[in-house]
Amino acid sequence: MVRIELYGVPRLRAGVQAVDVQASTIGDALLQLQRACPQLEPDVLTGGKLNAAYVVAIDGGTLTRDPQVPLNAGDTLVLLTSQAGG
Amino acid sequence: MAAGYFGRYLRLDLTTGVSTRVPIDEATLRHFIGGVGLGTVLLTRETSARFDPLGEESCVAFAFSPLVGTPITTSAKFAVVCKSPLTGRLNDALSSSDFAVLGKRSGHDAIVLRGRAEEPCIVLIDEAGARIEPCADLWGTEKGISQLDEQLQKRHPGFAFAIIGTAGEHGVRYATLSNGGRHAGRGGIGAVLGSMRVKAVGVRGRSPISLHAPNDVLEISRDLAKRSLGNATAKYRELGTVANLATFNRLAVLPTRNFQSSQFEGADALSGEQLQATRAQGRGSCRNCTIGCEHFFSARRGNETNRVKMEYESLFALGPLCGVDDPDTVLAASHLCDEFGLDTISAGGTIAFAMECAERGMLESYGEESTIRFGDAEALLELLGHIARRDTPLGDLLADGSQRAADVIGGDAPDFAPHVKGMEIPGYEPRGLQTMALGFAVGTRGADHNRSGAYEVDFSGEVDRFAPNEHAARLAVQTENRASVIDSLILCKFLRGVFAETEGGLYAAASHMLRAVTGWAIDAAEIEVAAERICLAKKLFNIREGWSRSEDTLPKRFTEQALQDGPAKGAVVQIADLEKLIATYYETRGWRSDGSVSQEHIRTYALDREFASLT
Repeated sequence: MVRIELYGVPRLRAGVQAVDVQASTIGDALLQLQRACPQLEPDVLTGGKLNAAYVVAIDGGTLTRDPQVPLNAGDTLVLLTSQAGG
Repeated sequence: MAAGYFGRYLRLDLTTGVSTRVPIDEATLRHFIGGVGLGTVLLTRETSARFDPLGEESCVAFAFSPLVGTPITTSAKFAVVCKSPLTGRLNDALSSSDFAVLGKRSGHDAIVLRGRAEEPCIVLIDEAGARIEPCADLWGTEKGISQLDEQLQKRHPGFAFAIIGTAGEHGVRYATLSNGGRHAGRGGIGAVLGSMRVKAVGVRGRSPISLHAPNDVLEISRDLAKRSLGNATAKYRELGTVANLATFNRLAVLPTRNFQSSQFEGADALSGEQLQATRAQGRGSCRNCTIGCEHFFSARRGNETNRVKMEYESLFALGPLCGVDDPDTVLAASHLCDEFGLDTISAGGTIAFAMECAERGMLESYGEESTIRFGDAEALLELLGHIARRDTPLGDLLADGSQRAADVIGGDAPDFAPHVKGMEIPGYEPRGLQTMALGFAVGTRGADHNRSGAYEVDFSGEVDRFAPNEHAARLAVQTENRASVIDSLILCKFLRGVFAETEGGLYAAASHMLRAVTGWAIDAAEIEVAAERICLAKKLFNIREGWSRSEDTLPKRFTEQALQDGPAKGAVVQIADLEKLIATYYETRGWRSDGSVSQEHIRTYALDREFASLT
């Protein structure tokens, strides 16, 4: 099980703070996230892929947009907007 | 003269009372565009090397731009450029709305104030020129800036005012200049105007703004307005910048208790999501803006409820940085800063520093004031007033900023004073965002998230935010260049995501706008050169004012103490790595390895008129 935590606009769109999915890569996880929260399309995800303004952090650490990155059971993905200005 | 410009600025000598219209040649306007670029070159020309920013030779330049007065979204902006009394280096701050439009329509591309008035005064500027009006009744009052603004507008209908508060009068080195609830916030412009004895500057005018191709400008405006409502700005519209707080806390880059931690246990209560859910009081926007990023929240204090605009930087600096988790207190503190005319980042940063000093027993000589502690809400609120008025020993000390305070306190205080070049660090933990660490270190204004967007590189997912490489340093240069263009056009940086989606990016979009407004046959390549030139001019101003290589660095806290929180556990800025990034930064800029600049490079960017004496 991989937990996806949502922050900012993704949380507003999805209406939940976190979603649990079964996934072995970031791409898998995002595809399942979109199925669980279809309201994330089109603003955050399109066809299970991150739109330009969004990025994920594995366990809150490394930031990436690469869908091929493998995940392990127990990992957490943090989905956030990459526009941090302010 | 190209359309969109008047080809002149107004110089007012406060010492003599004489105002002069000074021509600006078209080459200068094309080289520097407007805003921060134009303000920097005018400040340089109007002053001599190593002048005292609070002395009789001081100077403040208000600069507009060719886009001001057009219908292009977010273009109602102006820059204020001076030498910072906090850093001793170039200070450029931006604000927006009526002052920008009416100031330009007074018939000037810029307004330059010099010297010192005989007595406290307001300055009124319109098409007829400038006049100085004594204002003893407005100086030294307990009234906040918003009340003074109302009073001035009743006294002088039709003018828009930029006003200093109590902090500016008392020379607080991070005093702001405020207009219509907005602030040219950083670097102490309010103190400079206070030293000139200028309480407020009022502008009005009806001069028409000429446009080379009005229909093209209209089309550009409609297109940009439409795209400004897209996904690239959703965060700012729907949550505002306060959305950063919860995210930054999760990533362990939320500066907490004077940068001793990067996660705050009280973050949930202060998060933008929570504020929106429990305290939302509507949105606002600058004049002529379609984004509407301003979010207001209710703040309760005793029997009083205020409607307070809140941004992430104020929220972090007066909340987690000071260990305060009560939203009412943080909102009240931000409101107080706005009314006193205090930069919230520097105020919060300096108070947080003092709280750490007090907890370490380093403020014993300050008597009762030495009892301040992290999380002490009442102490935070009281101290803001003492700083603004300089009416207690600790308030007076902290009014000079954390760098100077640390020098007075002594011991190892300078190692954890949270500043670069004297300017307090904004809400981006450098150890967890190490491209931003580079941006802070080399920033011409000091620690600055508005002139360097290096955090964008860290958040892009393209580099390791804990160990950025040389490529990241080159990308950091690009963020500075883009910021210099946006700040000179002038437009809102919250459009940068929109421009990133534009074919050819920002520079192509900027050239498109400038061609339509001015009639210049200007292309993206020329805009990019202008970007480099503006960044270089700021750097050269600093060299002229005494910059040394040793100031492009970070305090020891960030290079010697690893973070202990969550995903940032163990993160520290290795000084050798930072030096490599700085070397790449200098090289990318075309500077020498010691950060100095050759005359050949200065000539390449046609800056030899202003900086011929530098080697």
